[in-house]
Amino acid sequence: MSVQPQTPDLDNDSMEDRLYTVKYDDPGDSHLDVKVEDVCAECETNDCVRVCPANVWREGEDGVPHIAYENCLECSSCRFACTYDNVVWTYPERGAGMTYKHG
Amino acid sequence: MSLELKSDTVADPNYDDEFDAIVVGAGLAGSAAALTMANRGLEVLMIERGSSPGAKNVFGGVLYTPTIRELTDFEDAPVERYVAERRFSMLTEGDETAFSLRPGEWHEEPHNDSYTVLRGEFDEWFAEQAVEEGATLLTSTTVTGLLREDGRIAGVETDRPDGTIRAPYVVLAEGGNSLVSEGANLKPTETRENVAVGVKEVLEFPERDGVIEDRFRLTDDAGVSYHYFGEGAVGDAFGGGFIYTNDDTISVGVAYRIEDAATHDQSPEETLNAFKSHPAVAPLVRNARTVEYSAKTIPEGGADSIPDLVHDGAAIVGDAAGLVLNNGVHLEGTNMAVESGYHAGNAIARAAENGRVGAEALQAYPAALEESFVVQNLEHYKWMMDAVEEDRDLLFEDLPRAFADAGTEYFRIDRTPKESHAKNAKRAVLDAVGGWTGAAKLALRYRKVVT
Repeated sequence: MSVQPQTPDLDNDSMEDRLYTVKYDDPGDSHLDVKVEDVCAECETNDCVRVCPANVWREGEDGVPHIAYENCLECSSCRFACTYDNVVWTYPERGAGMTYKHG
Repeated sequence: MSLELKSDTVADPNYDDEFDAIVVGAGLAGSAAALTMANRGLEVLMIERGSSPGAKNVFGGVLYTPTIRELTDFEDAPVERYVAERRFSMLTEGDETAFSLRPGEWHEEPHNDSYTVLRGEFDEWFAEQAVEEGATLLTSTTVTGLLREDGRIAGVETDRPDGTIRAPYVVLAEGGNSLVSEGANLKPTETRENVAVGVKEVLEFPERDGVIEDRFRLTDDAGVSYHYFGEGAVGDAFGGGFIYTNDDTISVGVAYRIEDAATHDQSPEETLNAFKSHPAVAPLVRNARTVEYSAKTIPEGGADSIPDLVHDGAAIVGDAAGLVLNNGVHLEGTNMAVESGYHAGNAIARAAENGRVGAEALQAYPAALEESFVVQNLEHYKWMMDAVEEDRDLLFEDLPRAFADAGTEYFRIDRTPKESHAKNAKRAVLDAVGGWTGAAKLALRYRKVVT
């Protein structure tokens, strides 16, 4: 096709602003962890980082995923994505963690 | 927070052995089960880990309501809009080819039992219906495991101060991230090929009133359900995009296989951004403000992924049981959750009335579910996910491209006779599907979509 469609510019919120729309009660401890750290060190794909919709899993300078649990949307994608079954996933306790207003 | 917790703790009654049944999760499946059992005179405890029912829940956006209407007075339910139009769009990177339905009948009550809802409000209302029938709701409480006594499930472990709560029956309605069921070895962890990741935004238009009605050609409470497939929706991933109109917001999102999310460079957030930026989508969502960003996983394994539904002392319902139908044409799950909760609740009530425990006493639940639309639909479309996977390039890339080209060619205005445009248009589609033989094979393979 020769002509580019006319598309309005979209102002998408940054991830930070997006996550700011979700109410969050810090449970104090991370509800996420890895079972064996060496497994992550050997993992070359870091699928947890790729699938996470909230940048909770981030690749550190050491090439190993780091967990910023405070913004977790509790979708559990990381748990299913990890081919090594190396993700420890527990529910935040007593209603803590995120709360959707709309859902 | 700590003060609140403390007073909560002091007021915490001991629920051990106080109830006939415990329901883990006050979502749609859990509340349907609790409502059914409470209706039949059972003492029911619903345990919800969120601060209120729905607080941890999210879905695409359309709730199908025939069973809810049977279970309770639906008139007062907090619905957003009824679905007056369903639209299916194929997107290439720059083209849209769409098929849209706006039957007059859908404007008339009960509106084909299809409504957009927001789960925060709706789940709370539905749980309240169970409470009004006598069920007890315990929020901000997480079930951490199941209690077993003499080999059978006899209650739950929680993060409450008094921890264990015993009851003869447990309904597991914990959703797709089913840590309790998996932890108790009642079901395996689903593979990532069978689970989708969905991300969604609820958008509002601060500019002016009436913008949703104008953009989606709506009056009063009418709403739309738009579905998008093809490369322009989620790239070459297995899945699609959606837009639903709520009362004064719209829900926009994408959902696709975790397998694809893991192997593609684009993050789910970037996929959502790309979808929103598509030339056919951007005009619908422009100048909007994000009021909520959400994510969830969707069990899409279909009929083959349904685990054993009953165990000694327990039944699994809803997303936890993998009861989701997502074949592109039909996107259903919440109605299946309600249906499964209803049948599980009935089976438990019957077993309790007869003083029977054990998995065989609950067999009425899987039996009823197999006779219902839930399993029949899942069985009917069992073949489809595999077929679509096999034809993925054709269905998500080549066909949308061919239809866009065919449409452009068919309606091309120049000084060539129409006949030659029509011929070229036909050829564009036939080439994509491999000629008449390919078309016939394709029609045969997908005949069950319409039969």
